[in-house]
Amino acid sequence: MIEALQQAGFRNARACHFFDSFSGTTKERVARKYEVRGANFVAYK
Amino acid sequence: MAIACPVGFDVTRLKQEVRQTYASVARDPNGNFHFHRGPEYAARLLGYDLAELKSLPQIVAAPFAGVGNPFLMDNLSPGGTVVDIGSGAGMDCLLAGRRVGPEGTVVGVDMTDEMIERARAGAEEAGLDHVRFEKGDINKLPVDPDSVDVVISNGVFNLAPDKAALFTELYRVVKAGGRLQFADITVGVELSEDARNDIDLWTG
Repeated sequence: MIEALQQAGFRNARACHFFDSFSGTTKERVARKYEVRGANFVAYK
Repeated sequence: MAIACPVGFDVTRLKQEVRQTYASVARDPNGNFHFHRGPEYAARLLGYDLAELKSLPQIVAAPFAGVGNPFLMDNLSPGGTVVDIGSGAGMDCLLAGRRVGPEGTVVGVDMTDEMIERARAGAEEAGLDHVRFEKGDINKLPVDPDSVDVVISNGVFNLAPDKAALFTELYRVVKAGGRLQFADITVGVELSEDARNDIDLWTG
């Protein structure tokens, strides 16, 4: 994600916060297996 | 780690599946889906203010299916122009509309008719005339170049198989000094080839 943002021209791209968005869902096991989380990102032009 | 676009992936089918999945969410937010929906989830796991969400029309809050909270990073300035990519039922757009105020503009773009209908009804119910919704492809935004202060999005970019094209389009519409503040999913380990080609994992 960060690399794709930078390649498009955005600067200072970074992830800021992380969330256990799939906790308690039927996909929780798969999410844990692949370390899938929600995240906030910011990038500047 | 970004999810790479799988070789040979049927992008047309992916778009159809995404559209069908979120049309189903719009019709029945309490249905059986493999991802959370609604304001209680948004407050409990994502840090939204439950009282603020309960003050919104429930027609927009109930189908909310974001994965993070774009409002935690920075404030939206009064009078600003905000575009929400894949705006769904419009919950984040209405929150943005309150923050930029009537001198500002919020445009939500989504490809699902059912979501657009809900979002427009919600904005009308909330009395937010400066929040509008456009049906469209997020790779061809109905927005002028260099016209947007902040692009927000919540759980949508992972559904786009060509992120380079999407981010190039976002760069086109954002003003110099403007920014993206969005939420999406991250994957911590390399996906197997089977997982990359499992369309259910892409539509959730």
